Amino acid sequence: MRPQVEYLYRLAWRFTGSVADAEDLVQDVLLKLYPRTRQLVDIEQLRPWLARVLYREYVDLVRQRARSPIADLAADAEGEDNPLDTLPAIKDGPEEHAERSGLRERILCALDRLNPEQRAVVTMHDVEGYSLEELETILDTPLGTLKSRLHRARRRLRALLSVEPFSAGERVNG
Amino acid sequence: MECRDFTPQLDDCLDGRLDAAARRSIQQHLERCPDCRRLHQHAAALQAALRTLPAPTPRQGFVDQALSRATDAAAGAVRTPRRGVLGMALAASLVLGVAVGVFLVTRPAPVPTVALMLERPETVRLMFNSAKPLQAATLSLALPGNVELVGYGDRELSWQTDLREGGNLLQLPLVARGTAKDELVASLSHGGTSKTFRLKFEVDNAGKSGM
Repeated sequence: MRPQVEYLYRLAWRFTGSVADAEDLVQDVLLKLYPRTRQLVDIEQLRPWLARVLYREYVDLVRQRARSPIADLAADAEGEDNPLDTLPAIKDGPEEHAERSGLRERILCALDRLNPEQRAVVTMHDVEGYSLEELETILDTPLGTLKSRLHRARRRLRALLSVEPFSAGERVNG
Repeated sequence: MECRDFTPQLDDCLDGRLDAAARRSIQQHLERCPDCRRLHQHAAALQAALRTLPAPTPRQGFVDQALSRATDAAAGAVRTPRRGVLGMALAASLVLGVAVGVFLVTRPAPVPTVALMLERPETVRLMFNSAKPLQAATLSLALPGNVELVGYGDRELSWQTDLREGGNLLQLPLVARGTAKDELVASLSHGGTSKTFRLKFEVDNAGKSGM
């Protein structure tokens, strides 16, 4: 079970970008799955199945936060209209400077600016390598919706990272 | 092919979902259109970078702890409640209350703590609650010596901003470079009054090699 927990943790971190949230999501999934451990043995492709369970848990988390007064802002922060935009910086603010840092850190910051659905499709498809057809099941979303979501997510990432376009030859270490 | 025909096909092109004729048509267009060529290069480079984006390994002890809790809960020995919505929201967030002019707290509040992993960027969210809209408030941040704002060299920065009534979210992409226990100091000033907030960092260096 340990490799599966590490896999779940990696996906949870990719969804949330937060160690604390990733730990909470994984813990919640394990609490749900443990009474059904015997059923897991019969599942042919366990990882996509686990990813689906995790994604549902993540959606629940996002919805719960959306109902909380504090979470309203946190959820909005991940959409196209970031509340930070309402805190205009006369001098350059942290966001502007973040975009000038190393590529990996800039990409992580840009992913934080996507809404949860966009972040999920881009991390599962572009980072984890799942096909859109596989994601139809994992994310329980029609192919057409996934394609438009992916299109918007990539366009927004390119816009967020366009302050300092990186060359095709630049590589991520690690 | 025209530029307006290329853009809608960019994603399918990146994902290898085009047939040979469509690929050839795009290739010919890219050879003669520098703007679309630049867009394609940028998109392909981003996709390549995403493909190699690392993820952290769980902190030491987390997997054992999580499995143990799940086992205990399944056995009915321990009921492990899910954190409440607020608790979840605050896991990586911090709410700082400020009501300039009507701030009546007379005793110091405990300094909140946020957990960071060494060398792993984490977005820390600060929520400033304002009792009324504030125009041109000055927000100053002083970071401790072991924590950096991602991509920002200085540890002290200050800028003017407008606060709206209610919650105002500030996201700080932070990365811990050392394990020393120290505090971030945020100061909000407006109309001759100011309020200072402190935030403690606990830095865990477990799994540093995971990135």
